[in-house]
Amino acid sequence: MNKTVNINLANVLFHIDEEAFKKLQRYLEAIKRSFSGTTGSDEIIADIEARIAELFQERMENDRQVITLKEVDAVIKVMGQPEDYRVDEDIFEDAPKSEPSATSRTKKLYRDIDNKYLGGVCAGLEHYLGFDALWIRLIFIFLALSTGFGFIAYILLWILVPEAVTTSQKLDMKGKPVNISNIEKKIKEGYEDVAEKVKGVDYDKMGNKVKSSGRTFFDALGTFIMFCFKVFAKFIGIILIITGAATLIGLFIGLFTVGVLDIIHIPGIDFYEMVNASGAPVWLISLLAFFAVGIPFFFLLYLGLKILVNNLKSIGNVIKFSLLGLWLIAIIGLIVFGIKEASAHAYSGSTTVKESLYFPSSQDTLLIRATSSELFENQEDVGINGMTVSYDENGERVLFTDDIRFDINKSTDSLSYIRIRKDANGSSTSDARERAGNIQYDYTLEGNTLSVSNYLYTPIKNKVRDQEVRVTLSVPAGTHLRFDAGMRRYMGRVTRFDREMYRGNIVDHLWLMGRNGELECLDCDDDKRGVRWNSDDEGRIIIDEEGVDIKIKDGGDSFKLKIDENGVEIKADDGGL
Amino acid sequence: MNIENTKAQMRKGVLEYCILSILQKEDKYTSEILETLKDAKMLVVEGTIYPLLTRLKNAGLLNYRWEESTSGPPRKYYGLTETGKMFLKELDTTWDELRNAVNLVTNAKTTKK
Repeated sequence: MNKTVNINLANVLFHIDEEAFKKLQRYLEAIKRSFSGTTGSDEIIADIEARIAELFQERMENDRQVITLKEVDAVIKVMGQPEDYRVDEDIFEDAPKSEPSATSRTKKLYRDIDNKYLGGVCAGLEHYLGFDALWIRLIFIFLALSTGFGFIAYILLWILVPEAVTTSQKLDMKGKPVNISNIEKKIKEGYEDVAEKVKGVDYDKMGNKVKSSGRTFFDALGTFIMFCFKVFAKFIGIILIITGAATLIGLFIGLFTVGVLDIIHIPGIDFYEMVNASGAPVWLISLLAFFAVGIPFFFLLYLGLKILVNNLKSIGNVIKFSLLGLWLIAIIGLIVFGIKEASAHAYSGSTTVKESLYFPSSQDTLLIRATSSELFENQEDVGINGMTVSYDENGERVLFTDDIRFDINKSTDSLSYIRIRKDANGSSTSDARERAGNIQYDYTLEGNTLSVSNYLYTPIKNKVRDQEVRVTLSVPAGTHLRFDAGMRRYMGRVTRFDREMYRGNIVDHLWLMGRNGELECLDCDDDKRGVRWNSDDEGRIIIDEEGVDIKIKDGGDSFKLKIDENGVEIKADDGGL
Repeated sequence: MNIENTKAQMRKGVLEYCILSILQKEDKYTSEILETLKDAKMLVVEGTIYPLLTRLKNAGLLNYRWEESTSGPPRKYYGLTETGKMFLKELDTTWDELRNAVNLVTNAKTTKK
């Protein structure tokens, strides 16, 4: 049973069985090759095809008859072998059929898959270098075992060197000129190979068997390894494409959004105004960022495509180098702006104001409360380093932050003071000091109530430069202090107090400024100072400077140990006994 | 030296002349030209003729026209151009001279024997 193929030869339809078709195809290919380069070759081929169609028709009794090898052979006999088509000027040469004298034809490196053990690399090198493949294989194995280099080199060559598939590649590999008679010779060799293999099935010699089975094994292994490599490569390719494409799309959207926001100037873009030190327009920065990030990802995308699509058209060197240049320019631009921005933060400066506070009666408890601001209500969503944009009572845009720290220490004399330190960064110390001076911060004292703002603000032209305010209240020893709950977030670390509690929890209690500068808690639950390991109704362990106090209760049993200035007291109660 | 090659070369040498001669009286299509040549044993395989016809046509010695055929693909009918006719005339004289020359030489050879 044979498959048949429909072919169209000079606009006539023929049914032809597969083997006959293959032979006819090879025949026409060989003829085509012999005419390649001569003028009017297409016309000649068309004429030849028309004649072959005519010959087929003469040989067929009806339309449904199938052309077999017999008909094809007969037609080839009438038409002649490809050499017979040669009518070039050289037909009068003495021996047109002999191979032209060995012209200096450069060999090309291909993998010889006809004589391969693994990938045909060594066999290909044999043709290229002229050594026996055996020695090349031994060198590779030696290098692979001794350093591993041979293994890597082999894999690389396997991937990079194309295999010699077509006859002309095989001739190139062996350095033989590609001409019609050599191709014919090769094709005939190919037939003989196949024929031998078919015949050889019955009486394979033992040695051959070993060799061929060895080859089949390495063949299968080779195919498998190559398959894995290809799958792996495609996988990487897909990842590269996804990464590249996603990033590019994201960047496009980002660039578009920022660009549009800048043009219609909605307030959300203010954050740029808050930090920008160089005065460069926002679209320039975003464009530079787009190129600096986008171009490498574009190349990633391109690489991924190249891995997936074998015959991807190159984008051309001009485009490649322009992109590279653009990328470098973008990077340099960003570096310049980056340096400007960084240098804007290079120096920090501060201004400090120290004022005396007069409380009507120093015996009354001093209440410290935080005042909030409408600025918190007006603030926008955009913020950098904790600073956000808001509008003051005049509708002016200001930067504001609640970067406030409040600390309490003991005054050196009998007076109370408040010290307000304003900090900011700048491109120079004086710049920083000026910025710090531009920070707006208020406090008020009414009676025994000190109200400190829990925010600072500064006109937006001062930009975000790590502005902050540190408030230090100094009170003489013996002053009673109470805090409003709003102060919870703003208590600083410098304040010393005699309890193991979070700084913020100070606000829950009444304090007395001690002589040692430490705040003493006056209304804490536990009137003992020190470390409390455990405390509940069932028992407690207290170890402090007054001694050790341990109480343990377990059902009916109880144990009590107390060590203090009165000595040691131990009491154990064992149930009802 | 291969005898078949020599024979083929001899034939190929005069093939152009023969083709032009066949077309002298009337236009013919490729198969007819082939038939005549094969009958005369000028041609062993048909393949040779196609490049030749194209070459002669490209040289302006031949032209052709298409004619529909009742059986099979349309046929190319070749004919001589004016240049072709002059070319042929010149070849006629050359051939006469050559034939005489060859006759002379070969006859001399046979009489010598």
